[in-house]
Amino acid sequence: MHKLVKRLFSTIFLVFIIASAVWGYTLTREDSSSSLETITIGYQAGDPIDIAKTRGQFIKKMKKAGYKVVFKQFQNGSAEMEALASGNIDYARTGDTPPVTALASGSSITFVAAGSSKAKGSGIVATKSSGIKSISDLKGKKIAYTSNTSSQYMIMQVLKKAGLSTSDVTLVDMSQSDASVAFAKGKIDAWTNWDPYTSSAELTYSGAMIVTGTTVGASNRDYIISGSYAKNHPAASKALIKYLGQDMTWANTHKTKLVKMMTKSLKLPKKVVERMVNRRSYSLKAVSTKATSEEQAISDSFYTDGITKKKVKISKYVLNLK
Amino acid sequence: MQTLEENPHNIKINLAKILTNLLHYLLPWTIPTLIIISWQLASINGLIESTILPSPWQVVQTTITSLQSGVLEQNMAISLYRALSGFVIGGSIGFLLALCTSLSQTLNLLLDSSVQMLRNIPHLALIPLVILWFGVGESSKISLVTIGVLFPIYINTYHGIRSVDSNLIEMGHSYQLNSWQLFWHIIIPGALPTILMGVRYALGVMWTTLIVSETLASSAGIGYMSTNAQSFMDMSTILMCIMIYALLGKLSDLMAKSLETSLLNWQIKGGMING
Repeated sequence: MHKLVKRLFSTIFLVFIIASAVWGYTLTREDSSSSLETITIGYQAGDPIDIAKTRGQFIKKMKKAGYKVVFKQFQNGSAEMEALASGNIDYARTGDTPPVTALASGSSITFVAAGSSKAKGSGIVATKSSGIKSISDLKGKKIAYTSNTSSQYMIMQVLKKAGLSTSDVTLVDMSQSDASVAFAKGKIDAWTNWDPYTSSAELTYSGAMIVTGTTVGASNRDYIISGSYAKNHPAASKALIKYLGQDMTWANTHKTKLVKMMTKSLKLPKKVVERMVNRRSYSLKAVSTKATSEEQAISDSFYTDGITKKKVKISKYVLNLK
Repeated sequence: MQTLEENPHNIKINLAKILTNLLHYLLPWTIPTLIIISWQLASINGLIESTILPSPWQVVQTTITSLQSGVLEQNMAISLYRALSGFVIGGSIGFLLALCTSLSQTLNLLLDSSVQMLRNIPHLALIPLVILWFGVGESSKISLVTIGVLFPIYINTYHGIRSVDSNLIEMGHSYQLNSWQLFWHIIIPGALPTILMGVRYALGVMWTTLIVSETLASSAGIGYMSTNAQSFMDMSTILMCIMIYALLGKLSDLMAKSLETSLLNWQIKGGMING
């Protein structure tokens, strides 16, 4: 009797597990019945694409134009560059640094669109206990940054401006989440990063922003990058820029709604999102000569410092939509 | 006449038996319970900052809200699908490979050293290759789990078959069993305990590789939930996911254990006949 009950229970359990797995399978199936051309876009949480995705207008407009949009979320820009190179995604939204290093390592990518400057929200935040008031106080301190992100360029520019070399400070290469804990516990003195991490460090962990991108000319723009897809599908790229641009205009004019939307989707405190949204503007349009020269400056600086091994002329890789 | 139950001495024994049984059930849970209680107390007293480590109660609340919105169930189902399909594919490949190498000397020479070389490659190192070959869809996630599960099953099956008592095989020969009978009635039962050990280990590896694979261009699954929460320091979601991993680990272990007891019944039966 006891055995029978046991057997019955394990059968029910097994059926339950298999049924859940089957349900999971049906959840992963994407609706492939439509005859529309599919465009896959890589993005990171909280970026302009995330705004367009959460708002929902973009998908509808693209559908009308004949494209089915699929979003894929990535943890960082380098993973997006890998996916672009292998043709698994058609477009990707990244910061300013991953495309530069990707180009230097021989990937063939194209700059499709550029956003507005995020210089005010990007910079170095110092902990309260570190006693750092200005960039000259950085000497001898422990500073966290994340390689192959805009923070790597930022810290180099700041050190140059302060007249310090990398041997004058202790640089630690950490992921955003690791650095976040280290900052909160005071294990590092300063943290080079961008919004919403900077505003979160300021408001949640009472840090002080000692320098921003404005001072050292690091804009940390958003870029839409593509592999060969954009070149071969100019109409798709045009539609993408147009409709994303409309979402960005909406974001600029509806900041209260935007804050509400992002607070919910990012699960961050409202004041953090508010600060992030209010110290930047949103846009996405064809890559300007100013943006190109900024990317060129990053590329050159990485080459001189030996981070990349190849000199790249950025303007050759900017998509010309005429 | 006194019945057994009325004998005060017997009642004492029964009571002692019940107490030891109770202890058996409770003892494994003492350490986790103590940890959770002291953690909650430390959070209430402000010894632990809630931004660094939220209290267990906050984690429970997060779990309830994600269950209510249906997000957690969906993500768990998707993870389960990836894990199980990877396990089935990887397990079958590993099992068949091990059969080849353990039963044929030629195939052993041909394949075994290659498998041993591939075995020690860390899964994280394979991610760029997996993206290149399988893309960023479901197949890349399932293939990573497949790779993870394949090797423990392979090694244990191989080892199990190789270490079957040669006297038993000789006995089979003298009973004039054909090779299929020999395989089915002597080799497989003899190797089964070791194979099941491999299954148990592989179930653990299955979850850990799944978590790694779900950090890659994913938009669903438990691994996605946790890495997404990680990038914004959503500590209570991270802790919830950690709890779920622990739970899933325990669950897989239970599954493997019940598989062992039902498949290795013959050992117990045999023991009874001998006794």
